[in-house]
Amino acid sequence: MSETIKTPTQFAQLQAQTRRQFLGWGMGGLGALYMNDAMAAPGHTLDLARNPSTPLSVLPPQIKSKVKRVIYLHMGGAPSQLELFDHKPMLARFHGKPAPEAFLKGKRFAFISGIPKLLGPMFPFHQAGQSGAWITDRLPHLEKSIDDLCFIKSMKTDQFNHAPAQLLVHTGDPRTGHASLGSWVTYGLGSENQNLPGFIVLISSGGITANAGKPLWGSGFLPSVYQGVQCRSAGEPVLYLDNPKGVSRAERRQVLDAVEQINRQTHREYGNPETVARIAQYEMAFRMQLEASEAMDIRREPQKVLERYGAQPGKTSYANNCLVARRLAERGVRFIQLYHWGWDSHGTPTDEGLNVGLVGRARETDQPTQALLADLKQRGLLEDTLVVWGGEFGRTPMWENRGGQEMAFIGRDHHPSCFTIWMAGGGVKAGLTHGETDEMGYEIVRNPVEVRDLHATMLYLLGFDHKKLNYPYQGLDQKLTGVKPARIVSEVLA
Amino acid sequence: MSDRPRSALLYFACVTLVTAAGIATAMTFRPAFRHQVLDVLGLADVPQAAPGSFYTARVAPLFETRCNGCHGDKMDRGQLRLDSFALLMRGGKHGAVIAPGRVDGSELFRRITLPESDEQAMPPSGKPPLTKDDIIVIRLWIAAGASGALPVHAIKNAPKPVVEIEIPQSDPVQVHRQRAPLADVVRQLQVRFPGMLEYVSRDSADLEMNASLSGGTFGHAQLREFLPLQDRILRADLSGTAITDGAAPVLAAMTRLEVLRLANTKVAAATMQALAPLKSLRSVTVTGSAVPPAAVVALRQRGIVVYGSDDVR
Repeated sequence: MSETIKTPTQFAQLQAQTRRQFLGWGMGGLGALYMNDAMAAPGHTLDLARNPSTPLSVLPPQIKSKVKRVIYLHMGGAPSQLELFDHKPMLARFHGKPAPEAFLKGKRFAFISGIPKLLGPMFPFHQAGQSGAWITDRLPHLEKSIDDLCFIKSMKTDQFNHAPAQLLVHTGDPRTGHASLGSWVTYGLGSENQNLPGFIVLISSGGITANAGKPLWGSGFLPSVYQGVQCRSAGEPVLYLDNPKGVSRAERRQVLDAVEQINRQTHREYGNPETVARIAQYEMAFRMQLEASEAMDIRREPQKVLERYGAQPGKTSYANNCLVARRLAERGVRFIQLYHWGWDSHGTPTDEGLNVGLVGRARETDQPTQALLADLKQRGLLEDTLVVWGGEFGRTPMWENRGGQEMAFIGRDHHPSCFTIWMAGGGVKAGLTHGETDEMGYEIVRNPVEVRDLHATMLYLLGFDHKKLNYPYQGLDQKLTGVKPARIVSEVLA
Repeated sequence: MSDRPRSALLYFACVTLVTAAGIATAMTFRPAFRHQVLDVLGLADVPQAAPGSFYTARVAPLFETRCNGCHGDKMDRGQLRLDSFALLMRGGKHGAVIAPGRVDGSELFRRITLPESDEQAMPPSGKPPLTKDDIIVIRLWIAAGASGALPVHAIKNAPKPVVEIEIPQSDPVQVHRQRAPLADVVRQLQVRFPGMLEYVSRDSADLEMNASLSGGTFGHAQLREFLPLQDRILRADLSGTAITDGAAPVLAAMTRLEVLRLANTKVAAATMQALAPLKSLRSVTVTGSAVPPAAVVALRQRGIVVYGSDDVR
C-alpha cells in the first residue's frame, strides 16, 4: 500500500476496491458525463464502506433510530389468524354452510377444491387489557402483555406456498438469492458486540427449519459476513466452533497466527479484500469461542427466570430460545431471529389439526413469548428493541377439503389475502389494532399492509430510509423492499 | 401593386375568421375550454378554495395522488380536470360532477363508488384505488356543501388523515460544521474506547455511548473522559460497569441525556437524586442495582420511566 494514504477511511476504501468495482465506477463516470446530473442525484445510496477487517463495526443510522435491535419470532407454517387474534363472530354463525360463490370464483387455493364449507372459529374469543384487543382463550399468558402489542390485521402477501411466502417475508422476494432482513440490518448498522455474530438464528420445533431453509437468513448478494449464524441452545452453541479434542486454546492461537501470516502474504500478492475479511472471521470465531458459550448458556440464569420462561437447560425449545434471545439482546446482538415451525393447520395428520397441532403450538409459545416481552420490559430493553411475531400468510375461513374429501382433523387452507402479525417495542404504538378484514375474515377492508410496507416500517424504526439502504447487484440497486413502491405504515408508529 | 396589401388583408381576415369560428366551436363543445377562454378574458367567476379549508387539506390531496394523472394539466380525460377547485366545480364533458350537498346527485361520487369491474368505475381497474376512508372524506365534504371555504376542522367525524413519512435529506456540509468543534475529541475517544461512542445518526452531531460490553474495566476515571461531550450525549449505557454513586456528578452534567442505563451497577439513591434536574431524561434503567424503590419516586412523578427498581411481573 502506498505511503501517501493518510486516513484509515481512505485506507479502508482503497483496500475494499476490486478491479471489477474500479471498472464499474469508471463506466459509471463515463455514463454520468453523458447523462443528466439529475440521474446521479446525491445521497441516493448510503455510504456503508468499512474497513474489511472490521466488517461488523457499528455505523450510525441514517436518521435517529427508535430501536437498536430486532427480535423476530417467525411462526413457520402460517398460524391461523381466525383461531388466535382475528375475531369473526359472523363466521361462527355461518359455520358448516357452503362457502359463497364469491369466495371461490377465479380463486386458486393450495388444496381446497370444489365447494368447501365455512369453518367458524374453533375457540372462544374475548377482549383483553386496556386496549380491548381481541384474543383467543388459547393464549392466556400473552394476554397479560396485550397492551404492549400493536396488531396489524391487514397483512397481505402474493405467495400461497410456504417456501416462497417465507422468503418474501424474510428477504423481500419470493425467490432465493436475496439478502435477508437480518443481513440488511447488520450490513447497515453493524453490531455492537464484536465477539458475537451480529445476526443470530435460533430454531426450535425439534430443529425443523422453516420450509425455505437456510436462504431465509442468507446474505444473498451482500457480503457473506452479514448472513445469519445458526446457534443452538443445547450442546455446542455454534457447530464446529469448539476446538477439536486435544487442541488447547493456546495451540489454536498458534494455528490461527500461522494461517494469518499466510493470508497476509496472499493479500500482499493478490490484494483481494475477501482475504482480509477471511482473517477477520477467523479472529472473530476465536473470540466467539469464549463469548458465545457464555451468552448461550441459560444455566447461568436464576431458577426464577427459568421458570418464568418455562425454560429447561439442555433441551432445544422455543422457551430456551426466547431466554437466549434476551441474553443476546443484552449483549448487543443486532438481529435475533427465532423460528418455531408447526403452524400449518390443514387438518391432515394429527399435528396439523387446528384442534390439536395449533393448540400445541400455542401452548409451547404462549408463556415464553410473554416472558420475553415482560423480561425485556423490566430490564428497560423493550423500549429500544423491536419484537415482531408472525407467519408467512393467513388461513382460509373455509374448512379445508383436500381433494374434495372431509379431513380426519379440522383444518384451514393457505390464505395469502390476509393475515395477522403483531409488533411490540420501541417506536410502535402499543395497544393499537391496525387494519381490518371483512366479517368473514376473507378479504382486507381497511388499511392493507404489504410485506414490503412492513419492511419499510421496520427499517424506518431502525433509522433507515428503505430506498437508500441498497446494494448494487446485477445492474440494479437492490433493496429489501424491491422495486414496487413501499410505504412506511405511519399509523402504527408511536 | 395595390393588389398585394389587399390580398394580405383578406388573408388575415380569413385566418382570423377561421380562428374565431374554431374558438367559438370549441367553446360550445368543450366547457373546460370555454372556461379557460373566459378566464383569460377575465369574464369568468373563478371560485377559489381557501388555504386551511377542508377541501385544500383533505380532498385536494386525494385528487392529486389518485386522479390528476388523467384529470389534470397533462391530460383531461372527459374534459374533466380536478387539479384546482375551480376546474373541479366546472365539471367535464357532460357538465358538473359535484352537486353541493347532494352526494347521490354527484357524478364523481357515483363513479368512485362503482364496483371495480364496472367500466365507468374510477379510478379505472388496475390503478391504485381510493381507500374506504378516502371515499368517506369525499362523501362528507359533498354532504357538507362541497365548499372551498369550510375550515378543515368543521367536519368532525372525518377519518384521520393519512400521514406519509418524509425522511429529510441530510446536508453533509451542515452536519460537518455542527460536528467540527468537538470532532477531534470524539475521534480520540473512539480510538481509545473502540465501539463505545458513536453519533446517534448520520445527520446529527449528537452522540450515544455504550460501555456495557466493557464490563468491570470501565469506571469513574473512564467516564470522566467523556465530560467534554457532556452536552452532546443523548444516550448512555453503563450497565455492568464499575461505576457507583461517585459517578453521579458526571451523569448530572450530561444535561441532554434522554436514556440512561445503569443495570447491574452499584449505583444507589444518590445517583437518582442527582438525575432530578435533567430536563430531557425519558428513561432510567436500574435493574440489578442497589437503587431502593423509594429513591425513584421523584423521577417517576416527573414522568420519567424507571425500569427495574422493583420486581415487575
